[in-house]
Amino acid sequence: MLGLAAQMLRFRKGTFVATFVALAAGVMILMTCGLLVESGLRYQGSPQRYAAAVAVVADRDRTIAGPEIFGETESTTVSLPEGGRVPETLVKAIAAVPGVASAVGDHSIAVTPVAAPGVPATGHGWGSAALAPYRMVSGTQPRTDGEVAVDARLAAGGKLQPGDATALVVGGTERKFRVSGVVDAVGPRAAVFFTDTQAARLDPNPGSFTAIGVLAAPGADKAAVVAAVRTAAVNAKTYVDGERGLVEQPEAVAARALTVQAGAAFGGYAAMIIIFVVAGTVGLSVRHRRRDLALLRAVAATPGQVRLMILGEVGLLSLLAAVVGVPAGLAATAWTRDQLVTRGFVPGTFELSGGLLSGLAVTVAVAVVALSSAWIAALRTTRIRPTEALGEAAVEPALGGKVRIVSGLVFLAGGVSLIGLTGATGGTTALGAATGMLYTFVLAVALLAPWINQAAAKLLTPVLRTVWGTSGYLAAANLRANARGMVAVLTALVLSVGFGGTVWFLQDNLQRQTVVQSHDGTLAQHALTGAAGLPATAAAKARKIPGVVAATGVRRTSVIIPNQLEAQAVAAQGIDPVGADQTLDLGVRSGSLTDLRASTVALSTTLADSAGWKLGDDARLWLGDGTPVTLRVVALYDRGWGFGDVTLDSETLTGHTATGLDDHVLIRTAPGADVTAGLTDLANAYPMSTVIGTDQLTGELAQDLAVSAWLNKMLIAVLVGYAVLAAANTLIMAALARARELSLLRLVGVTRGQVRRMVHAEQAGLLGVALVIGTAIAAITLSSVVHAVSGERIPYVPALGAAVILGGTIALALIATMLPIGRVLRTPPVQGIGLRE
Amino acid sequence: MSDIAVSVEGVSKTYGGEQPVIALANVDAQFLRGTATAVMGPSGSGKSTLLHCAAGLDRPTAGRVRIGATDLSSMSEKALTKLRRNRIGFVFQAFNLVGALTVEQNILLPSRLSGNRPDRAWLAEVVDRVGLGDRLGHRPSELSGGQQQRVAIARALVTRPEVIFCDEPTGALDTQTAAEVLSLLRSVVDDAGQTVIMVTHDPVAASYADRVMVLADGRIVQDMPQPGAERIAEQLARLGRRQPVTSREG
Ligand SMILES: Nc1ncnc2c1ncn2[C@@H]1O[C@H](COP(=O)(O)OP(=O)(O)O)[C@@H](O)[C@H]1O
Ligand SMILES: [Mg+2]
Repeated sequence: MLGLAAQMLRFRKGTFVATFVALAAGVMILMTCGLLVESGLRYQGSPQRYAAAVAVVADRDRTIAGPEIFGETESTTVSLPEGGRVPETLVKAIAAVPGVASAVGDHSIAVTPVAAPGVPATGHGWGSAALAPYRMVSGTQPRTDGEVAVDARLAAGGKLQPGDATALVVGGTERKFRVSGVVDAVGPRAAVFFTDTQAARLDPNPGSFTAIGVLAAPGADKAAVVAAVRTAAVNAKTYVDGERGLVEQPEAVAARALTVQAGAAFGGYAAMIIIFVVAGTVGLSVRHRRRDLALLRAVAATPGQVRLMILGEVGLLSLLAAVVGVPAGLAATAWTRDQLVTRGFVPGTFELSGGLLSGLAVTVAVAVVALSSAWIAALRTTRIRPTEALGEAAVEPALGGKVRIVSGLVFLAGGVSLIGLTGATGGTTALGAATGMLYTFVLAVALLAPWINQAAAKLLTPVLRTVWGTSGYLAAANLRANARGMVAVLTALVLSVGFGGTVWFLQDNLQRQTVVQSHDGTLAQHALTGAAGLPATAAAKARKIPGVVAATGVRRTSVIIPNQLEAQAVAAQGIDPVGADQTLDLGVRSGSLTDLRASTVALSTTLADSAGWKLGDDARLWLGDGTPVTLRVVALYDRGWGFGDVTLDSETLTGHTATGLDDHVLIRTAPGADVTAGLTDLANAYPMSTVIGTDQLTGELAQDLAVSAWLNKMLIAVLVGYAVLAAANTLIMAALARARELSLLRLVGVTRGQVRRMVHAEQAGLLGVALVIGTAIAAITLSSVVHAVSGERIPYVPALGAAVILGGTIALALIATMLPIGRVLRTPPVQGIGLRE
Repeated sequence: MSDIAVSVEGVSKTYGGEQPVIALANVDAQFLRGTATAVMGPSGSGKSTLLHCAAGLDRPTAGRVRIGATDLSSMSEKALTKLRRNRIGFVFQAFNLVGALTVEQNILLPSRLSGNRPDRAWLAEVVDRVGLGDRLGHRPSELSGGQQQRVAIARALVTRPEVIFCDEPTGALDTQTAAEVLSLLRSVVDDAGQTVIMVTHDPVAASYADRVMVLADGRIVQDMPQPGAERIAEQLARLGRRQPVTSREG
């Protein structure tokens, strides 16, 4: 049967091109996702600074048990947004472990070299140099607290030599040092070595280390040493081998999380769409060959043989698609990786690795989808009576079984009930519910499509007749008769309009929401921002400027919230509550921000809803470094998108963020007061800081969002592109399959123009229905998410975007139909009516 | 082995739908081994339906069909297919060939489907007799209607089936080719003892048969030994006068 299948493929290339394109593009997209996930999972940064250590002890994540559901608790591991700390005392304990030569505590201190501000640098104690084989290029190690040894890259960037004086911004203040030596160092960030005592003094979190490196004694049994270290450091985690890279480079952890999550989430969406598309095209290609298959049956092929042949065809196609799609996927992933690096989502050390596993998995997955939809389509052919081969035209089969209509209605009901659910939840949960809703609706449409097509054709008959006359009459009749054949087209069109409309505009809405909230909620006119962070004194100093009414230091961080389903990190801000009501308006619904102090917290209403906290409750959460805190909820506010879902007193955060510095200071001045000189002085007092208008601050926020939205939008564009490709594919297939019918019409006296008008009328009908349904789905989904997020019912839809999506769909459908129909019409009708279909 | 090749007992066929059509109404007929029977009658009289039911291509609404001693009514789709493959040849009115396959591949399709090794010598002879020797590598779309029909006949003959059903096999052929095809069919009856049941409108074609059966409105209205082309034409003309035929194509 495989030989027969291969022959069928060769002969009916046209019919199979559509399926092939759908499969190959699907393999390519999934391959990209799979490879991103695989590379992410394999990516551990690379142990460079800790290369000599047999193990590294650090505290970088929290495993948090979820609620008990049906007697089972599911726990989630969340990596600590600010990175955890290990106590100094642990060094002694580990050093005492037999087989350990020494245990070296490492400080990681954010440092901005004034001589080369563009070179990202981190400060360490010289003792930690023992963890990596550093090579002294020139000079010596730092011997006094006023000396530093610098990375060769830094020395090159800042034109530094041993003996030079240089300034470093540490902890928001500029300090002078003398360069004692230059070391050849590795790792993504340049290293600056202080003396150990100086490093301990400069660390914003005294009494602790970011990690402890363990050096094994020569000849010691490594496994035994590691096991003993594990028992000695039960409250932290012991990383060995490649994992050491993750401790060394926090950005590696983030990159890993990003690629794995983005790849998996996107892969999930893509898989759904690919299932729709592949099932649709495969089904359609089988339908178009009904007569061929019936003939095979009549010439004595058993139903099993026919099924086998169809499966063989699709199997061969899947293999071909893999041959093309996998390399294309590799290329696409390489491009994506470069984009991610360029846009700063992942560090340059992120490399694509593997591919064999993803390639295999994707090929198998796509083949399984294709084969099972072929199997379903082939099951139907079992019911093809052999005598069908003999009829003039294969009889259009009935609309579909009871199972189909019932499951379609069930999905429709499911989608409608999700509207309620989305309305009731907020924030991220709403987003999940919205996507679920979108898919449920599209699935319902796919299942109900035959009946939708038929009903639409009935409804549209008078309209088409009035507008297009005889051609319209024929078009309506065709739409009715082909209700089943146009299922794939309707589904693909609804999918592209509904999906594109929802997800694309959702992104716009969320972005806009963030910017609008941040803009509306900022009462201060000026902001002092510091690239190297601002110490708490900055806000105090600003308050002293004559004409300044209030100044609020803002520290951005994240905290871990034990949500109702699973723990997750959410954006938070630490503010100095004194006078904050003059600079910030968070849109407080209940309670008051004046009650904010070290033991209390304010939450956005969405977060409070999803975590199940009310005003006055004790909220148990984890600060960015993993410290558990219990804070009383004193205020609930609306503007969570603009300011983060959690607002804390800066005091609560002291010692629990990596830098211990403020990101910016919001400054409110009295109307008419001239504060220019005061603000300039303020900016001069803090290194690398400037005073900007708060609208500029919002603008930067919008820009940051645009960068992260890039990833989302690209993913959506790819998916919508795929759905659109599928729609075009199906339309072309459908148009070409009608060669015979159109020839017949022309032979009985319908003019070419009339045929063309008829096709126009059909298109108008089909597109109209698809656009109405797609827009309705997008509108419902979008408005329920936007409502959950912002309380507004009417989503924001940029006119240009709407025009692009609607216009694009219309243009595409017309091109994908009129071109092949034009070709069909150019062939003489007598030839078209022949055996060739 | 009994002498009856095909036996149709009380077969009815109703096509469903909003207005049910009774295509066959309680038809009884026996076809003897080693004979050729012509089934005639006006368009829409149920000839094709009778052939389909008798060949196991379609299932009758009521009644039973036997091929030799095998009762088709209780057979699964798969068993029916295998039976058709091994014991029955069928030449349809039109659309007989798989466009993707060459002439030779089309002819050998049944053997290929059953996994049997084709009898090359017999293939050569059949091909020669239908006059397609130089066309084996062509695709159906490169052949005329008559040539396509001859390919279908070759396909029906090549497995040496017990019974060969033909639905207007010469409808699209010129007189010369038609005569060749008909004598080919005649010779398999005479030489190999195969059974031929053939629907035709042409009294000349019917004169190649041993027996003529006339259908009207799904019933057998006449069943007689083949009386010669002229008598057949007369009979049909009488039938035509008695019962005006609608313009439906047969
Ligand atoms: N698939 C079908 N569905 C409905 N009616 C059919 C079908 N096939 C045949 N008929 C009807 O059954 C009757 C007998 O048809 P048929 O056996 O093809 O006649 P003919 O003698 O011309 O070969 C006709 O009235 C025809 O319209
Ligand atoms: Mg007929």
